[in-house]
Parts: sequence; structure tokens; C-alpha cells
Amino acid sequence: MWKWLFISLFATQAYAHEMTPTYFELKPSLYDNVYVTQLSLFNKRQDVEYYEVNVYDENFNPIAFATKDKVLKVPTYGKSILEIYVRRKDVDEVTYVCTQSMLLKENVGSTGVTSRICSRLK
Amino acid sequence: MLKRTLLLTVLATGVSANETPITGNVQSSCSIYTTQEGVYGNPSIDELSTKVADGGVNPVVRVDTSQAGYYTAKITTPTQFSTSPTLNDVLNWTGDVNVNQVSDVGMANYDADKITYNTTHEYDLTVAGSTWFEIESGVTYGVDKPLPGGTYVAKVVAECIAK
Repeated sequence: MWKWLFISLFATQAYAHEMTPTYFELKPSLYDNVYVTQLSLFNKRQDVEYYEVNVYDENFNPIAFATKDKVLKVPTYGKSILEIYVRRKDVDEVTYVCTQSMLLKENVGSTGVTSRICSRLK
Repeated sequence: MLKRTLLLTVLATGVSANETPITGNVQSSCSIYTTQEGVYGNPSIDELSTKVADGGVNPVVRVDTSQAGYYTAKITTPTQFSTSPTLNDVLNWTGDVNVNQVSDVGMANYDADKITYNTTHEYDLTVAGSTWFEIESGVTYGVDKPLPGGTYVAKVVAECIAK
């Protein structure tokens, strides 16, 4: 019985990438003509430690933005708060903020899974 | 005696009673889980396939949404290797995605309702809960050309896009 339990635990082992909120708001920041939003990234993937952040318009064309690190190191079971700054002239274009997992070559099996989660402007 | 003790107890707790509210807020979110990594089998000299019948393992991705109708899931099967030996001939890729497990019967039509374009399979997550997506990937090399020996790695992309 223990053998089956052991096998079953391995079979249900799962690694997750999670980001909130679903809908973000851009608010004026401390800087002139710059807006800011905050998102939270939670990493439960044991095979991933790095995530790339990007900002897009509604057609997924990239939009210029600033943040502390565009590639974040988030340890497994770690959480990171992202502060995204965009210029006021781009605010009307901003639609999505996405985080995408970056797989290290040595951590990828025969087929690796790249996960990407995108929050949308409220 | 028992009545007096009971009365005192009630009074004592009545005097010090205080309402301590517990508040909670469930916000919508999406999580992507890799529940099973895939492995390519090598059923013939010119072919790699994740199908079990071909000696492979299909990758499985689970997508959880906490509230209905907030997200679209997109699963894209590979069209190139991220790691491979040098390949000089054409690669012909095949791929498919199917829902293989759900946490709610309302998700039964997800496969029938999905939109497929290029190698992307798009699902409207209209029900809150967990959906497991099983991904098949296969590739043949040239015309019956043997694949060079070495390690082959390809990536599946699983996305959760807020609507």
C-alpha cells in the first residue's frame, strides 16, 4: 500500500506559476508623467527560478516600460512584487502585463513547459 | 449549584464578549501547473513522438482559475527544438492538445469549443476550477532520414491571458 501511495504522490507532483491581480490599474507615480502599477508573482515551479516581465498593447506589441529587473529571480515558493512604470503617453496603449518563465537549459527535460500569465488593464 | 455555575459562566463570557470579524477576499487568479513533463520516444529512425504508443510521455499542464470567465488558456505545441544536434533537413512537426481531466462537469465542452490556429489551441475558461491539458508533439525528419544521435529538447508554451 505504501508503494502505491509513494507512486501516487509522485504522479500528482505539480509546479505552478501564479500572478495577481487579474486586472491591474495604472496610477500616477511620484515621477512626473510616469504611471505605475503593482503585481505579485508567486513561483511554485521547482524547475524555474527566472521570469521575464513584458508590457504589451492589445495586439501584443511590446510597449516601453521600466521596472527594477526585467528578468526576475524568484526562488521556488518565493513571491515577488513587480512595480511597472510606463510613460503617460503610453498609458492608453497598455493592455497586458505578462510574466513568462525562463527555463534553464540544464533543467529542461525532453519537452519543457514555458508558462506565461498575462494580467489586463482594468 | 450547577445552575449558579452556569449562570456565572454565561455572565462572565457575556461581559467580555467581543465580536471578532474574520474577513476574506477571493480575488481572481490563474495558475499554470506542469503536472507531467513530456518525453520524446523514438519509434522509427526519422521520428520523435511523445505518444505513449511510440514510447514517449505526453506532457500535461493544469490550469486553475479561481473565478469563471476571467481568462483564456492558450497552449502552443512546439515547432522547433531548443536543443538538438545539427539538423540539415526539413522537420515536419505535428501537435495536438486535448482536455484529459476536469474538476467540473461544466468544462466538458472545452475541447469542442476550442479555437485552433497555427499550432495554438485556445480555450475559453468559462468555469472556475482546474483543467488538465494533455499535449502531443511529434516530428519527422526529412524523408525517412535518420535523426542524428544526441539530445532533443522542445518547449510547449502554456499561457493564461486575462480577458
